[in-house]
Amino acid sequence: MSASVSSRHPLLTSIGVALAGIAAVALLAVLPGGSTLAQQVVSGLMLGGIYVAVAVAFTLTIGVLNFLNFTIPTLFMLTGMVAWGLSRWGLPFGLSPGLHWAPALLGGVAVAILASLIVERFTFRYLKTRHGDATEHAIPLVSSLGFLLIFEHLVLIFLGSEAQSFPVRFRLDLHLGPLVVGLPQLASLLLSLGVVFWLSWLLQSTRTGRALRSIAESPDTATLLGVEVARIVPIVFLLSGLLCGVAGALFVVNYSDVSPFMGEHVGTKAIAGMVLGGLGSIWGAIAGGLLVGLLETLGIHFFGGDAAQVAVWGVLLAVLILRPQGLFGASRIGKGKL
Amino acid sequence: MPAEPLLALSGVTKAFGGLTVVQDVGFDLPRGGRLGLIGPNGAGKTTVFNLISGVYPIDAGEIRLDGQPISRLPPRARVRAGIARSFQNIRLMPHLSAVENVMLGQHARAAGLGALLTPIAWMPRGRWRREAEELLAAAGLDIDPGEVVANLPYGIRKKIEVVRALAARPKLLMLDEPAAGLNPAETAELARFLREIAAAGTTLLVVEHDMGFVNEVCDRVVVLNFGRKIFEGSMAGARADTTVREAYLGAEAADAA
Amino acid sequence: MSGYWAGILAILAINIIFAYGIFITAAAGQLNLGGAGFMAIGAHAAAVLGEQLGWTPAQTVPAAVAITACVGIAIAFPVLRTRGVYMVLATFAFAQVVTGVILTQPALGGAMGLVVTEYVDLPVLLLAAAGTTLLAFWLMATRFGLALRALHDDELVSTLMGVPARAMQVGAFAIGAGLTGLAGGLYAHHFSFVEAQYFNPLLSIYVLLFVLIGGTQTAWGPLVGATFFTLVPELLRVGGSWRYVVFGAIIVAMMMFRPEGIVTRSLVDRLFSRRRPAPDAG
Repeated sequence: MSASVSSRHPLLTSIGVALAGIAAVALLAVLPGGSTLAQQVVSGLMLGGIYVAVAVAFTLTIGVLNFLNFTIPTLFMLTGMVAWGLSRWGLPFGLSPGLHWAPALLGGVAVAILASLIVERFTFRYLKTRHGDATEHAIPLVSSLGFLLIFEHLVLIFLGSEAQSFPVRFRLDLHLGPLVVGLPQLASLLLSLGVVFWLSWLLQSTRTGRALRSIAESPDTATLLGVEVARIVPIVFLLSGLLCGVAGALFVVNYSDVSPFMGEHVGTKAIAGMVLGGLGSIWGAIAGGLLVGLLETLGIHFFGGDAAQVAVWGVLLAVLILRPQGLFGASRIGKGKL
Repeated sequence: MPAEPLLALSGVTKAFGGLTVVQDVGFDLPRGGRLGLIGPNGAGKTTVFNLISGVYPIDAGEIRLDGQPISRLPPRARVRAGIARSFQNIRLMPHLSAVENVMLGQHARAAGLGALLTPIAWMPRGRWRREAEELLAAAGLDIDPGEVVANLPYGIRKKIEVVRALAARPKLLMLDEPAAGLNPAETAELARFLREIAAAGTTLLVVEHDMGFVNEVCDRVVVLNFGRKIFEGSMAGARADTTVREAYLGAEAADAA
Repeated sequence: MSGYWAGILAILAINIIFAYGIFITAAAGQLNLGGAGFMAIGAHAAAVLGEQLGWTPAQTVPAAVAITACVGIAIAFPVLRTRGVYMVLATFAFAQVVTGVILTQPALGGAMGLVVTEYVDLPVLLLAAAGTTLLAFWLMATRFGLALRALHDDELVSTLMGVPARAMQVGAFAIGAGLTGLAGGLYAHHFSFVEAQYFNPLLSIYVLLFVLIGGTQTAWGPLVGATFFTLVPELLRVGGSWRYVVFGAIIVAMMMFRPEGIVTRSLVDRLFSRRRPAPDAG
């Protein structure tokens, strides 16, 4: 399977969709009885903003390296739990008392990036055997499952297995007619989209971005063209660590609680978003992440949590089988050269 | 009425996304014939192989084996009909042993659930295994048949490719650059082996760049250039043909010569 | 035998059967990350048939195998259209749908789970594990097994050798699903209780790890992998979570130094035959 990462700009389309969405919400809000629904749509989009960042982390590693990185949800969790630990107890070895929430969150993000780079050091750099057979892509996947176990249980050992409340004193609600929009929520949606836009610009317009895209097309050709694959690959892990860190920090700001298991829920939803958008497509991951957030919130509102799970995964399975390129992606079919 | 050719191509055309790589190619290959398919790089030789063995469907034209149209058949039905092939880059299964690769070549002949579910690995004297080992020996391969092929040298693997195709007991054996990368001694040995096979009644279709090898093995050649047939006849005829010389050497060089 | 070791042996037997169920598709190059979903179908089928219809384990377990195999065939056709990472995700999604459906249906136990009254004791489990192991060795020695291993290495060329790829893969998927159904049915009757929450993604992940770390080239792989990973955590004399940290580190180290699994083809050749040892050249 040829890997790829695409970041084509359907900018006008996305602006159009966004305007249509705002108009729809506004319409719902003024309709009698529609304001609860409109509130759900707003919450769904906010939640979707967090899924977007994690989904982009997934899609980036798959697109460039053909690697389904299972540590990504753990990096998200690591950010939240480490930040909570820093704010509760301060730096290790009694170096400082408990930190203010902002530096604590920054520390959490830094740890997530560091952890991501450790994963790169021990998975990709050792991947030398290439038989080109059908399960070759499973080798880094299995390594990442090993790291998932390591990180998760280190957190359990040092930070406990309890869900913790991590209140961030940063609450300000905007009242737009009948709608209540939390300022942190709005800020997080914008920040997460901002990071993704920056990433898409990076891929499209910089030297590093071109190198990444050439690796995505063919690592061998990229090497022949003088791209130093070994130096570029860590950038993918740095970026995915950053994206997970930002998502984890925004989750804390919005929902004020953390747990060692918070990664699983967000991770599976982000995978769903990535698949809906098409593997390797950044714009697809944005649309897919927002869509999953929306579907989840509305699904729970109307049908309850377990039914929402069946719906989300059922749709996902159907998309994988019927439109593996995603709802928005272009088809890319190739046959092995003989 | 002349005897029906074993393989007949007429008007075969294939395009990949607007680029026509094979255009209106037609030739007959009589039973027991030894045809060389030659031409410069990118002439479409391997694509013709892929069209005959069913890797891709053809866009237009017709391919007949024994008078029966096969262009619509899936690849595995074409193997059963009697077409087996080797590959330009060695495509042996790296995790299987030499004898297992050859037994894989027999697959088309092992029909039915019984043949599928009888152990073949536990019985060193079983029919299939013995036949595969004999075939390896007949090809002059002095190796441990249980050796995993990834551990074997290039020349040996190249030859196992040919043996694997032969294991299907094909009417038509298609070899894609069988001599590429072999040293002169190995090439001569391979040519001798192929003449033996042909003498035993197997029809050969060979793509090869080594013209000495083609001359030794084949009785007739078809020359392709840019996806079109530019010559069909004897090797000596091809050497003398101006169009063929131009295709290989470029127009001016051909004039100068 | 102490109850402690009897419990571990029971888990080991079920893990071995479960691992062979995933192995048989992995041998053909298809990764099934939905093992827990298939096992959940088998376990709940056995539980519901036993409790609602009063069937005995001699009836429920074969029925669980048959039902899971049929679901396997039904899902194989669409899922096998996908490749590589897509197939991993599709099987994962399938398992999520299965547990989601069970959670929403009170008749299947919902979130409360089902009590299973008929008890199946350890010797039956061990016998089933031994039988499954023999079956796997036999299948891998046949032309069917050869075709699966060929498909693992190179699907296109296998097709050109006359291997009906889709039929082989669907067959492997059905047999694999049936074996995971067997593991599920035995689990239900031995532990006397099933709940959807047990069949979570982590279970699918673990069983795939057993198989990939054991090695997919020979039928020894799942046996060694499941045994290794069931016993090593018990033998590790470090407590609680540290055990899993060590376990994770072993996995990472395995992929660095032995990415094709503990048991490879060359290792088996070296151990079991009089042949000269194969040089480790690539």
